[in-house]
Amino acid sequence: MQIEIQLTHSPIAAPLPPAPLTGAGAWVEFRGVVRGEENGQLIAALEYEAYSSMAEREMRRIIGEIAATQPCLFAKVIHRFGVIPVGEAAIYVGVAGKHRAEVFALLTQFMDRLKQDVPIWKRRVLTAGDLAKLQTK
Amino acid sequence: MRILFFAHLKDVTGQAEVEMTTGELDADGLWRKLIATYPGLERFRGSVRLAKNSEYVGPDARFTDTDEVALIPPVSGG
Repeated sequence: MQIEIQLTHSPIAAPLPPAPLTGAGAWVEFRGVVRGEENGQLIAALEYEAYSSMAEREMRRIIGEIAATQPCLFAKVIHRFGVIPVGEAAIYVGVAGKHRAEVFALLTQFMDRLKQDVPIWKRRVLTAGDLAKLQTK
Repeated sequence: MRILFFAHLKDVTGQAEVEMTTGELDADGLWRKLIATYPGLERFRGSVRLAKNSEYVGPDARFTDTDEVALIPPVSGG
């Protein structure tokens, strides 16, 4: 199985599906987007922090473990960190495989495991005023 | 060894990383050393996992001065 992991400060552009994979019949994508509300408070952005080297390693390990029971052909994960405005994606996951069942399963199990084990944190909640101050620096 | 702090643990210790020379330690010894230097860490000990050289380790892990050790509070990515 081919796995691509990317941690970036930049906005996540919509990646293209992988080059035609022999036998792939399903390609699913997920984007986790910053909501405009956190704990009942209106927000403008979240700041994410990552232990990058370990986060990449953990994501590869988790995908490899899940793929033992949900064999897929390809997975691409992009996690953004730093300040991410509301409405923009913090994470993108794309998975390709022979059939939709294992592709959906790998995607959902990966997201569950990511939220337990991958060393990435929502470090700070920013209001519109906080974000404006950052943008004028 | 190089110790890395993340998320709110940076606020507790006032730094993102620190170099310590300790000789070989087990996890309990490492925690005792860290809490002696940063008493504010004590209340987080139950919820923080240790990683050695970018891999989670259990309570029986041993650490040497060449290791990179990270204190991993509960994560919240995605």
